[in-house]
Amino acid sequence: MVLVVWGAATLGFFALRLIPGDPVNVLIGLGNVSTQVRDQIREDWGLADPLLVQYLGYLGRLVQGDLGTSYRRQQPVADVIGQQLVPTVQLMALAVVFALLLALGSALIGRGRRTAPLAGLLELVAVSSPTFWIGLVLISVFGFGLGWFPVVATVGFGALLLPAATLAIPVAGIISQVLRQGLDDAAALPFVDTVRARGASHTRLVVRHTLRHAAASSITLTGYMVGSLLGGSVLVETVFARPGLGRVALNAIVDRDVPVVLGIIVLAAVAFSVINLLVDLVADRIDPRLETKQAYA
Amino acid sequence: MRSRAHTTSWLRAAAAIIATVAVVTGCSATAQNTAADSTTLTYAINGGTLSGGKMDIHSSAFQATALVMRNSFDSLVYQKADGSFVPWLATSWQISDDGLQYTFDLRDDVTFHDGEPFNAEAVKANFEHVVAPETASADAASLIGYAETGGFYAGTEVVDEYTVRVDFSQPYAPFLQAVSTAKLGFYSPAALRENAAQLPAGGPGISVGTGPYVLSEYTPDQSIVFTANENYNWAPDGSTHRGAPAIDTLEFRILPESSVRTGALTSGEAQIASDITPNAVGQIGDEFTIENVTMPGLPYTLFLNEAHGVFADENVRRAFALGVDIGPAVESIYQGQAERAWSILSPATPNSYDPSLEDSWAFDPDQANALLNAAGWTERDSEGYRMKDGARLSAQWLAYNPVSDANASFGDVVQSDLREIGFEIVRDNREIAQYYEAFDQRNYDLSDWSFPSVDADVLRAHLHSGGYKNGSSTADPVVDTLLDNAIATSDPAERESLYQQLQQWNATHVAMVPITVPTAITAYSKTIENLSFDLYGQPLFYEASLTTAP
Amino acid sequence: MSVLVAVRSRRVKRMPAPALWAAAGFLVLLVVSALLPGVFTAADPLRTDIGEALLAPGPGHPFGTDQTGRDVFARVIYGSRYSLAIGFGATLIALVVGLVIGSFAGLMRSLGDGVLSRAIEIVMAFPEFLLALIVIAIIGPGEASLLVAVALAVIPSYARVARVQTLVVKRAGYVEAARTLGVSPAVTVLRHVLPNTLGPLLVMATMGVGTAITAAAGLSFLGLGPKPPTPEWGLILSEGRNFLASAWWIAVFPGLVITATVVSTSILGRHLQARSARRQR
Repeated sequence: MVLVVWGAATLGFFALRLIPGDPVNVLIGLGNVSTQVRDQIREDWGLADPLLVQYLGYLGRLVQGDLGTSYRRQQPVADVIGQQLVPTVQLMALAVVFALLLALGSALIGRGRRTAPLAGLLELVAVSSPTFWIGLVLISVFGFGLGWFPVVATVGFGALLLPAATLAIPVAGIISQVLRQGLDDAAALPFVDTVRARGASHTRLVVRHTLRHAAASSITLTGYMVGSLLGGSVLVETVFARPGLGRVALNAIVDRDVPVVLGIIVLAAVAFSVINLLVDLVADRIDPRLETKQAYA
Repeated sequence: MRSRAHTTSWLRAAAAIIATVAVVTGCSATAQNTAADSTTLTYAINGGTLSGGKMDIHSSAFQATALVMRNSFDSLVYQKADGSFVPWLATSWQISDDGLQYTFDLRDDVTFHDGEPFNAEAVKANFEHVVAPETASADAASLIGYAETGGFYAGTEVVDEYTVRVDFSQPYAPFLQAVSTAKLGFYSPAALRENAAQLPAGGPGISVGTGPYVLSEYTPDQSIVFTANENYNWAPDGSTHRGAPAIDTLEFRILPESSVRTGALTSGEAQIASDITPNAVGQIGDEFTIENVTMPGLPYTLFLNEAHGVFADENVRRAFALGVDIGPAVESIYQGQAERAWSILSPATPNSYDPSLEDSWAFDPDQANALLNAAGWTERDSEGYRMKDGARLSAQWLAYNPVSDANASFGDVVQSDLREIGFEIVRDNREIAQYYEAFDQRNYDLSDWSFPSVDADVLRAHLHSGGYKNGSSTADPVVDTLLDNAIATSDPAERESLYQQLQQWNATHVAMVPITVPTAITAYSKTIENLSFDLYGQPLFYEASLTTAP
Repeated sequence: MSVLVAVRSRRVKRMPAPALWAAAGFLVLLVVSALLPGVFTAADPLRTDIGEALLAPGPGHPFGTDQTGRDVFARVIYGSRYSLAIGFGATLIALVVGLVIGSFAGLMRSLGDGVLSRAIEIVMAFPEFLLALIVIAIIGPGEASLLVAVALAVIPSYARVARVQTLVVKRAGYVEAARTLGVSPAVTVLRHVLPNTLGPLLVMATMGVGTAITAAAGLSFLGLGPKPPTPEWGLILSEGRNFLASAWWIAVFPGLVITATVVSTSILGRHLQARSARRQR
């Protein structure tokens, strides 16, 4: 974990130095500023030090949990990220719920001989549609056309529905594809016959047995999903004009607010590592046997 | 190995779902507690630029800063709708006969939000902060007459505790107007001493003024909350309200998308929204009042940079202005909500506008072609663009994001129309930092902006050879003299004549091409009473009150 | 953003023939429109006509007109060249670079492999879209940047697959055998490693073209791609977004075309995948 975070911070630190232009311009914005003042600013922000000194200084502060100060907002990076974390987490969380529900529905309904091609097509379209376009279409239909949802509300649960649905649709398409494939594969496994022979109902078979097997394969997608949601949140937050981490990331990148970009890189690396680490630790302790022959991983 | 991978997956899923439920239920629980006994007014503003260290009235050049901070910052004098000045923090003022000294007698009962007294020392500390190099002030420094070279601000002297004098090295007539703006408002001396470096970021305990509202909460890019200043009793002369403001809390919601502001208003989330676009006005129902104020100052203008490329040639500049069919484009794109501009000053700028320029030039592609031929751009390349000495007739248009829809559409028309006469326009939309890099070096052919100002002296920053926003790189001694003379005289008729000469000068030499006269469109609920607007079309909340929702 | 999750199973379903033909047909039309846009439309995608602004789709303008009276159909047709160039170009770059890095990592001894795979792992910890954004921050917006950013963001995925395939080949023994026979390493790579790694990567790349097109459109929707008034699909969508209430067609049609393109490349990709799966059995 430390390795991934260190690697990400290092890679980010040096890659972001490649950004052309003078960070002092980001710090001052418009104004007639003398060279003397520029040098002063450079001195104050430690930008005059040799690169290696800056790097070690950054790592040193990072170890103490200090992410530095935003050039553009001139407030601690931790605050900048903290303020915008909640709306994004809410959005992503609801999107995950929507995606799972949609995928489950589509996978269960789309198993019939007739419904399967339809489900397949829907999945394909869902996966293939650009997130931002889905958002625009949902706004047109449900906002302007039907008037069911506020086009652009900013507070309350209702404001979250359309953006979360937008973010969920492509992810749901993927999960559903994998889930249906998994269901088919599981149905072909020998134990299904055993369970049937014991007289279990079809529903029971699907819910208790095959779905579990299928879910195992789709859940290997967690990592992909988190990435997709994070990337998608940049677009969704832009389309729906919502505040959040995606927008902070986008603004920081276009404004060349290096400390904030680095902060987000480090945050993403930490999140990635923590999820894996936690899960691995708990898994080691429980370690139940789960027999399967599938080799997805 | 395999089995562990699957356990892992199950756990991940479980963890994700638990977290989801927790967050979703948590969020719906907190979303409901906005109802309150005290009166709160929610105001949807653009404000997208504020988080970039633009909360400081003294250093920011953006109008948004003044719009927000006016609530916390008072001025020495107040400019009424008719252009006249009445006492505010200054009870009276004298201008010396030579126009070099402004003496202000201050109220003695004013305190800052942090309890510090407002006095001559506070005024001096603030004006010194404006001109200090560390402040890197753009607009406020220009307003006070300071410049690194060629400025005429000579200093501020404390005469006694409540009398202060500002000195100039040459007569400076627009100064009274300048001190009426929020940009020359006053921070608590304690804030300047202890938090000067934090002022651009702003926030509670940092942005401390004397105004009717105290900045009490600030979440960048989300909201700014102001709470009534219960001690406030120093409104401008002639105010219909006394004492603390009637509305207890002002919540400014920062919503940079125009459609979101309109949506917030019509859905009842906000009672007032500013920066409404012309095409949204039709969508807003009758239950809202629309305030449409024609902005004084510099219209939305294209700057033709004569210090860089093809625009060094006056014929090319004139061809540019004649080659774009501005009238129909403005009518269609701004949908009748913004008027065509004919001059580099808005008709709403007091004592300066030259109406004789109206309809004085028209779309004329033939004349434009003739001018370009005369300028030697006679060959054509394979794409149909004009060439001279192997180089294409091409101009790079520098702009900063976000470019408004209307301006982007107008840009498309400019490109399309000029392509017809063989003139290529390359758009270069940049993020603000990259924009300034090119702008400071005047490394572009074309740029565009508008700049509201109640005083025609706004032209000094834009046309004077030392002006900080001289986007066309104009350096003409005739222009400099006209501008210098205009601020040296306080005779309105004489100033008007000088500014009209400047407008005529531009009509001949085409340093800038005026496009539209911007309007500030604000829409607000009928539940707001006694809302007034300043000369920039910005709402003033001090006298306003809220009736119970109908 | 990514559809690169290869849905692997024992029983890869074959794509129905009509779907396959429709997908292939659509892609052919797209390539023609990219090379010879004049075949489909006589309108000029850049020419504004204020009198014709915001017209609904109709005989003269199949996709309607935008706020400055430009023909949306012409803009979509002319736009195909940007999207296809970026989609194919970025995928090709990612494929080649990923292949080189991946096979090197796979062939190297444990230390080199360890360092390279760690690096790949670290980069893969980031959402591809964020990665592309950072690349654009460094090299600045524009058409070429879009290409490079999209390519760089997906290189790690290709490198990882290439590495795994190389390891499989290495374990299979013929690399060892070739070495004992005195065949030079370069020849070994060319003759044995490449043919075996290329197949799965090509399948991945076919589907990757669609992903790359979507990603590029997304970046350009955010204003990081070509400059206006370039008729790039993402840019057209972004220009139409504030006219949804009055002129839905500006944003809806280019989006439909993007979706159709991505669906088509996915169908082709899956077809290839099914074929290679059958061949391997």
